[in-house]
Amino acid sequence: MFERLRCFIRARWRFRGYEPQPVTVKTVCRWVGQFSPPDRKYLPTLLKHIRYVDEQETRRILFDLNRQLVERLANEGIPIEKIIYVQVDEAGSSSPFMLGLLKNDARLDRLDCKFVDSRDVRMLRDTTDSLEEGAIIYVDDFAGTGRQFCRSRDFVIPYTVGNFAEFFLVPFICEEAVRELAKRGVEPITAGIHKAEDRLLRTECTLVAPKIRDHLTSLSSRINPKWALGDRNMGAMIVFYRNAPNSVPLILRGSLNQDPYVGILPRSTDLPPFF
Amino acid sequence: MPSTDKLQASAPKVVPSGILKDLRPDQVVPSKNNPRRLFDPRPLKDLKDNIRQHGVLVPITVFPIRGQDKYSILDGERRHRCCVELEQEGLTLTIPANIVEPPTKVAGLLYMFSIHGYREQWELMPTALSLEIVMRELGEKDNQKLVNLTGLSEPQIERCKKLLKFPKRFQDLSLDTNPQTRIPSNFWIEALPLLDLSERVLPDLTKDLTRNGVTQKLVDKYRSGAIKSVIHFRRVMEAYEFAQPERKKVVVDRIRHYILNPNLETRKAFDEFVLDNRRIQNAITACESFVSDLRGYKLRYVADKDNLMAALEKVRSYVDHLISRLEGTDPPPPPLDDQPREKS
Repeated sequence: MFERLRCFIRARWRFRGYEPQPVTVKTVCRWVGQFSPPDRKYLPTLLKHIRYVDEQETRRILFDLNRQLVERLANEGIPIEKIIYVQVDEAGSSSPFMLGLLKNDARLDRLDCKFVDSRDVRMLRDTTDSLEEGAIIYVDDFAGTGRQFCRSRDFVIPYTVGNFAEFFLVPFICEEAVRELAKRGVEPITAGIHKAEDRLLRTECTLVAPKIRDHLTSLSSRINPKWALGDRNMGAMIVFYRNAPNSVPLILRGSLNQDPYVGILPRSTDLPPFF
Repeated sequence: MPSTDKLQASAPKVVPSGILKDLRPDQVVPSKNNPRRLFDPRPLKDLKDNIRQHGVLVPITVFPIRGQDKYSILDGERRHRCCVELEQEGLTLTIPANIVEPPTKVAGLLYMFSIHGYREQWELMPTALSLEIVMRELGEKDNQKLVNLTGLSEPQIERCKKLLKFPKRFQDLSLDTNPQTRIPSNFWIEALPLLDLSERVLPDLTKDLTRNGVTQKLVDKYRSGAIKSVIHFRRVMEAYEFAQPERKKVVVDRIRHYILNPNLETRKAFDEFVLDNRRIQNAITACESFVSDLRGYKLRYVADKDNLMAALEKVRSYVDHLISRLEGTDPPPPPLDDQPREKS
């Protein structure tokens, strides 16, 4: 009972506004209740090390990063009309959503910059053809391995014409993605690089005793022994109000359709359909 | 039409800024058009060993990227890659670099062509669309002049031009970012002769559907899986070309049926008209006896060689053309994802 209370206080306070599944007494009790009493004592430690980014913070970070970048580019001779903002994924996913937020908050519509969907290769090509030089700014909320971003970017970039500096505007990014971007000359514009040593369940992390880490990892392995720490076993510990990245450990997300294990911060695609 | 001199004047010019700098590997970024499978690992290893021992002796050529405190490579991708790898191994080194002015739009495109010439599996559509810009900017359409400018081969230019003949709405199907639904560029190149043929032998159908309508039918057929490989379109052409006069009408009717029926598979429709194996075997025998006959003449030391050289050139030209025609294949299938995709 005590652990449930500790988890609830920590989760309810810290994860306010988590959209896929609100954090309530019921969801916290269900999540804690599926673990045996000896296991439960480690759960508050796990929750403590999650970096939760709420809507307000996401908007603020995006706005600030963008303002700094636009000012920097202007100082280096790239005016706003030579900037192309690119969403890198399909409608409804995080990239178009983040670009939408930024567009509203920074009132980009009132400026002369361009907006292109990376899947509209023709438009990207025509826009770069007419501008001839400038900057391409890809926008998203998070990058884990960076593979998905690089796959989209590598396909469209041969169609661009002229000289364009490339930036990836992203509130948080894992160090693995930074390496992938560096190979391509894409500069991350970010509020923080999420290093392996900051991820609680990674062996590189020294924030907790190895015994606690191994125990939490074994609990996560019960859900999926191969990808216990999420996609590519990255073990990311950053969660956005809109959704958790798929590189977050499964102990936080639960099983697909939340059966047999439920999560405290499931991704929207982890939840069962209503119909 | 612009003269070759004028064209050459518009060709890529590296404008030196007169600066030679020592750059760290992380200050240099690869060209955006650099295909990652460009380099053979073995020569790269030799170069790396050499750089480990002596450093980079020949400066690379780079231009500053406006907006970033970095430089993009125009020449020296291999040296840079070796330096990056050596740095990862713990070696600290700098790369001497000639700094030049950023290339103009056309110069950048022409540089891209030179890279694409080396690609193992290069996608034709970016090259075709870039060639379109070059033709527009320089006002040049002549194949030979474009060969000189771009470094692409004439068959490559011809293939690009074929792609550009299709309306944008069809070209855009090859720009689909989803490899599962993307129509490969070769589809259009292989379909073009069939579209021309159907326009010629089935004017009523083309009038009813329009040429774009017939093209759409072929796209639907491809999407339904009835075209197992785009090179199977060649069977249609062969079936028509080699049909005896009394069988021509049957073939034409079959083409009509093939176009209108989205599920009729190409080989099923046309194999009965094509005697592929016998013709291929005859061609192989002809190649073998040609080489054997030439060997028999012991021509290595002939003094009066001009006519012979001219004749051999003719053979080479024909063979090159034939090989390049035969090499047009389906692009490789997209890589299979064995692991879940990253999502945030």
